[in-house]
Amino acid sequence: MTIRLGRREFLMGSSALAAAAALGVSPAWAQNALRLIFWGGQARADRTYAVTDAYAAAGNPGVEGEFLSWNDYWPKLATQTAGGTAPDVIQMDYRFIVEYATRNAIAPLDDIIGDLGEFDADQLEGGKVDGKLYGISLGANSVAMLANVTAFEAIGEAVPDNSWTYADIERLGEAFKAAGNGMAAMSDGSGSEPFLDNWLRQRGKALYTAEGKLGFDAADATEWFAMWNGFREKGYIVSAEDNALDTGAPETSMVALKKAALLPSNSNQLVIHQSVNDDTLTITSYPRIEAGVGGGHYRKPSMFFSVGGTAAEKQAAADFIRYFVTDPEAGKILGVERGIPCNASVREAITPTLDEQSQIALNFVSNLGDLLGPLPPSPPAAAGEIDTSLLRVLSQEVGFGGRSAEDAGQFFVDEATAILNRAAS
Amino acid sequence: MTTDAHKLTVVTGAENDPSARMRKRIVSVLAHTALISASILMLYPLLWLLAASFKPDNQIFNTGIWPTADWDIDAYFRGWNAMRVSFGVFFMNSFVIAILSIVGNLIACSMAAYAFARLEFKFKNFWFAMMMMTLMLPGQVTIIPQYVLFRDLGWINTILPLVVPKFLAVDAFFIFLMVQFFRGIPRELDEAAMMDGAGPWRIYWKIMLPLSVPVLVTAAIFTFIWTWDDFFGPLIFLNRMQDYTVTLGLRTFVDSTGESDFGGLFAMSVLSIVPIFVFFLIFQRFLIEGIATTGMKR
Amino acid sequence: MAVNAAEAAPQNAAFSTTKWSRAWQNHAPGYLFLLPWLIGFIGLTVGPMITSLYLSFTDFDLLTPAQWIGTANYERMFTNDRNFAAAMRVTFTFVLFSVPLKLAFALAIAMLLNRGMKGLPLYRALFYLPSLLGASVAIAILWRQIFAGDGLVNQFLSIFGIVGPSWISNPNYSLWTLIILSIWQFGSPMIIFLAGLRQIPQDMYEAASLDGAGKWRQFWKITLPLLTPVVFFNAIIQTINAFQSFTPAFIISNGTGSPINSTLFYALYLYNEAFSFFRMGYASALAWFLLFLIACFTAFSFLTSKYWVHYDD
Repeated sequence: MTIRLGRREFLMGSSALAAAAALGVSPAWAQNALRLIFWGGQARADRTYAVTDAYAAAGNPGVEGEFLSWNDYWPKLATQTAGGTAPDVIQMDYRFIVEYATRNAIAPLDDIIGDLGEFDADQLEGGKVDGKLYGISLGANSVAMLANVTAFEAIGEAVPDNSWTYADIERLGEAFKAAGNGMAAMSDGSGSEPFLDNWLRQRGKALYTAEGKLGFDAADATEWFAMWNGFREKGYIVSAEDNALDTGAPETSMVALKKAALLPSNSNQLVIHQSVNDDTLTITSYPRIEAGVGGGHYRKPSMFFSVGGTAAEKQAAADFIRYFVTDPEAGKILGVERGIPCNASVREAITPTLDEQSQIALNFVSNLGDLLGPLPPSPPAAAGEIDTSLLRVLSQEVGFGGRSAEDAGQFFVDEATAILNRAAS
Repeated sequence: MTTDAHKLTVVTGAENDPSARMRKRIVSVLAHTALISASILMLYPLLWLLAASFKPDNQIFNTGIWPTADWDIDAYFRGWNAMRVSFGVFFMNSFVIAILSIVGNLIACSMAAYAFARLEFKFKNFWFAMMMMTLMLPGQVTIIPQYVLFRDLGWINTILPLVVPKFLAVDAFFIFLMVQFFRGIPRELDEAAMMDGAGPWRIYWKIMLPLSVPVLVTAAIFTFIWTWDDFFGPLIFLNRMQDYTVTLGLRTFVDSTGESDFGGLFAMSVLSIVPIFVFFLIFQRFLIEGIATTGMKR
Repeated sequence: MAVNAAEAAPQNAAFSTTKWSRAWQNHAPGYLFLLPWLIGFIGLTVGPMITSLYLSFTDFDLLTPAQWIGTANYERMFTNDRNFAAAMRVTFTFVLFSVPLKLAFALAIAMLLNRGMKGLPLYRALFYLPSLLGASVAIAILWRQIFAGDGLVNQFLSIFGIVGPSWISNPNYSLWTLIILSIWQFGSPMIIFLAGLRQIPQDMYEAASLDGAGKWRQFWKITLPLLTPVVFFNAIIQTINAFQSFTPAFIISNGTGSPINSTLFYALYLYNEAFSFFRMGYASALAWFLLFLIACFTAFSFLTSKYWVHYDD
């Protein structure tokens, strides 16, 4: 009976219920205030709100901010976007910007963003999709190896510097094994997408090509899995069972659990990892495949601010974003919590005000030297799926011995190609 | 009344026979021992949570369960005011939603359940099947159309999407629950009332509801706890932080990509359990009293 | 009332009016009591449900309008989706073990608590505590503390010289830690059992006692038969919930279903398809297939219920 009712008819039919809506319900949004939505923890929220307060105090429109955890953020943003009620200013991730931009869920900013001052060119480039600017980078960061300084001191080894290589993993692996305190040299990095990317880039390849195809072949993937098998068998890295305890949350990492001294991470995450660890932590580079080979790292936009595609006040939203990334006082409040500021004068202004971990992160990103390679093209839309439902699962299957490295290498390439083709069709 | 008589026989029986009394006592001690050890197992997580809320952040994950030193109440103050909007506001919001939901569920679901359990009408089985079907579809795929519907009604950013459905008996779980219990009430009672000229409304009000206090209290307790714990509805439909519920506030504490205040999370988690626990303690008394009434009427 | 109606009806003038009036008398009360639910069902529930059924035949990425693609989603489910197979395996294992164990546990504790002993309210509250905690971040962290390689379980086992694996992160055991979590939170069925036990009149036991029936016999002859409506209810609800189980797997694996998809519950997979990979059309197809499975199970239960569920009416 009801089957024949389409959604439109049904919605009209139920509009009788709209009468109930007249029960003195206030209008949905506070007038004239910009709506801002971002993911993050308490520390980020405190800093962000301090900036919105300062912005409003300077006579600008008020900004009503809402923040959520990463896991809750995306369903809510997707629902609001589907419902046409997306906020004016939206924090956007590198992984999703293509999805949102190509569907006009966020607006191009080229004509409204105005003068961003001396802004890092690679960071501007990172916010572009099909040549148009859709996101303003809130900070640059780079992949970085988190290191437990206390643990290195305890076994009398030096924390590796930016010249270290994959061969050093073996040397340090033996040293930690010899110390016999239950801590391996490194966590298992075989399921880490940025780690694989970094390794491929040093070999002159890439995860994805500019056309959105795979930038490596089955032989590369097999070699990758086989290398980690070697480390695992010799006890240089943690066991598969231990590594699976890490769900991506900082408090579950192998360094937080004191099972490994080194952990592939990001420069801006030193602060977070330090906050759940009573040992002293620092960061260094990812290992080089050979001494002197660089080009694996790049300065990645940590996250963007974008303007909602349906936002009524696009100009006002863009004005707020410009203030957020170019005002030195705002910069001092924000610090490097979202990455190293991209505006040169902001960077200069904040440098003296930073705490120790932030200084380390800033120095690391500013002094990558020959490690620094070009910014890769934005990843294809299906990259997230290949990462979470393919690479991580495969690395665990290999780690637990359910699949050989050869098998996994071939399967990875076949399946990833299939996923890319499906997403493109 | 009947219960008293029961007790009386037991007591007199025991007094006549000392060995039986002894046996009774041993059984009782054994039962209590089993229950106490089981309760410790049950209680352990709460104790752990409680202890964790007094630990400094960097000790929460890498030391044992019990805090080593430095008991620290700071997390409670920090957590309470962490989010610009104090947790007091979140508690108030959660209370309003929970209380309204209880009222709505009790009225609307008991009416529907009475219809299904006792009244005859055309297409009853069809409607019952439809009701059961609403239980079976995962909510994740109806959330977008629901959002669109509530947006068109102008209800987004209000508590209406969270409360109005309860007054329209959308939660089929409770209808089904009440149907099962209503069917356990002897039909002779309604028939006798019908002979006395009582209509369906009177039977519902004067016989069904008074005899169903246990299940109504059960429904009230569950509604309170589940609306209190619900986060997906509030997450999607509420946008202003001053409208957030406790559970949504708690989830916002911890972000896997950012710096999180775990001490504050645990402190507020402990506080968030207090109202539902107190509610449970108070209302389970009515659960018992209700039963006494049932026994009497019988 | 029915009698009154029948007497009053023939005195009405027109036959059609009589028929209408009788129909009104017979069916109106039922529909009046059902009215709130009917409004809710037609106004709030059925629309989104039908929309999602429609979406299951489309390619819908949440951000652009849905495109009709026929039965392609359903075809992909059965022909070309490893993860679907994995999710089915995980979910069926979970349902098969967690539901009976949880129900048995809940009933046993409810019987124990129904003896009218001292301190009953306190025990009942304590046993309900785990369910109050729900599936929060705190539980996720706690479960790790218990089931990790150096967790409580293994510390206990080491007393007997057993070196246990890291239960929660080993693909062979991780699902079992979630089954244990589900059983541990047996509070809701326990409360419903208790309410059901309370509804059984004491005088029936007294009569049985006088007839010389022992406790064991009383359980099989009185308690269990009279409790069957509640057992039936709990079994159906717990099974539906287990099929749709989402939050525990989500918080404990941080949404990944790891290690190696060993905790990739059906609902978790569906959620990731919808909100992580923007395939709401496919997720809707998954949801409707799940509905079909649950409906088959429920219909079967209702059909067989007349052989074992005893109502008083």
